[in-house]
Amino acid sequence: MSGEAAALAISGLTSGYGEAIVVRGINVTVAPGEIVALLGKNGMGKSTLLKTVMGFLPAREGKVLLHGGDVTKFPPHRIARQAIAYTPQEQAIFQDLSVGDNLSIGQPEAKWFDEELERVGEVFPFLKERLSQRAGTLSGGEQKMLLIARALMARPKLMLVDEITEGLQPSIIERLAKALLAERGRTGVAMLLVEQNVRFALEVADRWAVVKLGEIDDEGSSDTKNAAERIANHLSV
Amino acid sequence: MGVLLLDIVTTAAILFAVASGLMIILGVMKLINFAHGAFLTIGGYAAFATTQLGWNPWLAIPFAALVGFILGLIVERVIVRPLYARPLDAILATWGLGIIIGQVITIVFGRQVQFVQSPISGAIEFLGYSYSTYRLILVALAALLAVALTALFYFTRFGLNARAVIMNEDLARGLGIDSTRVRLITFGLGAALASMAGALITPLISVDPNLGLPWLINSFMLVLVSGISIPSLIVASLILGGAQVVVSTYVSAILGGLTIVVLAAVILRIRPQGLFSG
Repeated sequence: MSGEAAALAISGLTSGYGEAIVVRGINVTVAPGEIVALLGKNGMGKSTLLKTVMGFLPAREGKVLLHGGDVTKFPPHRIARQAIAYTPQEQAIFQDLSVGDNLSIGQPEAKWFDEELERVGEVFPFLKERLSQRAGTLSGGEQKMLLIARALMARPKLMLVDEITEGLQPSIIERLAKALLAERGRTGVAMLLVEQNVRFALEVADRWAVVKLGEIDDEGSSDTKNAAERIANHLSV
Repeated sequence: MGVLLLDIVTTAAILFAVASGLMIILGVMKLINFAHGAFLTIGGYAAFATTQLGWNPWLAIPFAALVGFILGLIVERVIVRPLYARPLDAILATWGLGIIIGQVITIVFGRQVQFVQSPISGAIEFLGYSYSTYRLILVALAALLAVALTALFYFTRFGLNARAVIMNEDLARGLGIDSTRVRLITFGLGAALASMAGALITPLISVDPNLGLPWLINSFMLVLVSGISIPSLIVASLILGGAQVVVSTYVSAILGGLTIVVLAAVILRIRPQGLFSG
């Protein structure tokens, strides 16, 4: 270990549901300011990995370090309070709460709320005009933007983003990619993205890894020439 | 006619105060607290203790709330929390707890009926009718309670966190909300409300170790009919409480006592999801 501790260091992590082991001894490291994309087909353990990192599932083996501190046995709310913004794939916003309440849960400190809202409002202007609207009445794309906005409000040092692009049209995917890259440029936030959209992943991430049957099967840098081809190969088999 | 209306409104106010604690525990914790009746009884005896100690009778209300809150915190921590993953067992545990509380009260205070000094007695002229001052004050207190609960759940951080836990507990936890703490405070609050309601009704009824039981059943029915919402609970209290008063006045007091249970059963047969949801 030398220099600054990794934003996230997952080592030998194994977890699953009941008898079924879904994540098998995975190692992933995300440096401060780095964006890493995990790709893979459905059911390969990508989302399970994020849920284990967040403490929703117990780690059977291995460790999760955040900025050098061991959080492996922490409950989710304590992990979330370490400047982690987790955006789950499903049921990720409170449908029956207003847009403003959803954002306020992202940033509980009243003294920072207005400032953060101002900034997030520049990225996604529609949010500021619709603070009192019920979040469930937003369109699918707007809900995903709200989800990213809520994560940005939290002033995170690490974002865990689970398949944010699923079911979205290309123009919105492009907006989300720009928003994530701009945030990294501004605050140096690290990100671990779980994705199936190879183009989006390679556009945003510095490094990628393919997860197969709960293990890392292949990995590389996003600027490797044949990265897209290699990933596509893994996803098609 | 005017007196009948006043009876309906004051009865509804009492029912609302009695059922509110059961409702917030059910809403946040998805737990039917069958010890609710026992907490009402505790409130009744807190009022009795206030009388015995010679304190100002108005002190019975905050004193009962405080006793209920503290006992509620202890019960949540010791009995309810270890059973989070086993909701049915948690409900049975509250049922058992209710029996134990009843027995402990019997041992300490005896089986006999006790009386509590009323903070205020007599009647005043209201809208041209002479009506019990205390029952009118109860309406004001119940209205105050409804406003306070609404403010707590809609205008405070605790309320937002609690509503987030009601809607999606895992999501709330993943966003840094300590749902265990929200449950602890909610249970304490629900027990405090039950106990306070017990103190509020004791000037109207006598105190005995089974004071809470009929109120538990009526509260349970009211909450099933109303669903988890303060305005709905007010409306349900007016409808079911109104029916109870009408039957008691024009048919018989015994049938009146059964009205809420029977009417609620009929309503739930027609609309199993309750009157106001879906």
